[in-house]
Amino acid sequence: MENINEYIESGILELYVLGQLSPEEKLQVEEMAAKHTAVKAEIKDIERSMELFAEEHAVEPSEYLRSKILGSLVTNLGDDRIFTKAHTRTEEIFEDDEREADNIVTMPPRQITFFKYAFAACLTLLVISVYGLVTMYNKLQDTNTQLTAMQLDKQKIANEASFKDKELDIYRDTVYRVLRLKGTAKAPTAAMTLAWNTINKKIILDMKSMKLPGHDKQHQYQLWALVGGKPVDLGVFDAGNSIDTSGMKEMKAIAVADAFAVTIEPMGGSVNPTITEMVVSGASK
Amino acid sequence: MSKKRKISLSEEELVSALRNREKIAVEALYDMYSASLFGVISRIIADIPVAEDVLQETFVKIWNSFSGYSAEKGRLFTWMVNIARNLAIDKIRSKDFKNQAKNHELENNVTFIDEQRNTVYKPELLGIRDLVSTLKPEQKSILDLVYFKGYTHVEAAEELGVPLGTIKTRLRMAILQLRKHFN
Repeated sequence: MENINEYIESGILELYVLGQLSPEEKLQVEEMAAKHTAVKAEIKDIERSMELFAEEHAVEPSEYLRSKILGSLVTNLGDDRIFTKAHTRTEEIFEDDEREADNIVTMPPRQITFFKYAFAACLTLLVISVYGLVTMYNKLQDTNTQLTAMQLDKQKIANEASFKDKELDIYRDTVYRVLRLKGTAKAPTAAMTLAWNTINKKIILDMKSMKLPGHDKQHQYQLWALVGGKPVDLGVFDAGNSIDTSGMKEMKAIAVADAFAVTIEPMGGSVNPTITEMVVSGASK
Repeated sequence: MSKKRKISLSEEELVSALRNREKIAVEALYDMYSASLFGVISRIIADIPVAEDVLQETFVKIWNSFSGYSAEKGRLFTWMVNIARNLAIDKIRSKDFKNQAKNHELENNVTFIDEQRNTVYKPELLGIRDLVSTLKPEQKSILDLVYFKGYTHVEAAEELGVPLGTIKTRLRMAILQLRKHFN
């Protein structure tokens, strides 16, 4: 009993109540309290007076704090009810730490989901872009082809137009003398127009207006000029030739001629005309 | 004094309700002890918003670690006030708080310290004057340091320049005086 009184008098119980002891010292005091009711009673007395002392010094916290703090505890309460089992196992771990850990665990999946969707969106966009690009490229190619075709057409039309101009000029130009050759007894319906340049003396045939009887593949037309009763070769031409039938054909030049005539001669022409095969003729005046 | 009816339970009822995680226990806990706990916290931390934060932390910790409390080892309040005091001391010793404290202007410090030193006398706490008069000055200062300023008894011995044994004796005498007063 002496020892117990000494123990109580030492002031260690006051330090115990004030939370000033190390965990080992605390355990010792608790053991003593369990063994000796006097120690236990002393502790109770100290606790009660310290509690009353605190009550005397109480400071009422602001009214708004009550609902704020109760709110935060009731939120916790909801969590606790769900995880009651886990609690009994992790009694020693403070809830704060657990909640922090929870936050860290839940955040990343959300972020990963976000990046997953973002990645998918990017990929979709890329596919659409590539498809669009290919389509556009094909269209561009088509347009380019069309443009080239149009340019060729335009060139052709321009060429044709200038060619027609030239043709027309022959009739307009006073330098040309236009002669019309008429059909002979052999071919009464035949007719042909030629233009004679009085300056450079060239003969130009109007292939379009030409109406001559046909010839076979071994024969050609040959143009002649009669100069002082003698025939002069002015060159050969074909009726069926597509190049020749369109537009004008330039023949050889001749300075003076009394008349012009066309005969059908073997391929390549003859030195002298075959009079019986003459299809058109006409005077030069 | 209170604007609304406060819930009050006996300590046994409260403890068993807290063990059963009942909502009413939370309210009773707050109504019964918030003022006493805030009295301790706000004397350690003069900055009211910080002290209020610590009060909230205290209740959260009490609630979450309630399974750690055993009625065998002592009164509920003793357990709770030690949690509150430890959290308050942790707060004033934290880096954040120290940096914040440095920002106080010098002139403000005068009133700041005064506020810290003074015990706030509330007219409703009539007994407090009697209580203070029953304590000798050295008993009051040791209780102030250990109970309200968060000093360990070793630090208090250094602060007051007396041996550790003397501190223990003074503390015991002061508390004996309190017991006599309350009885």
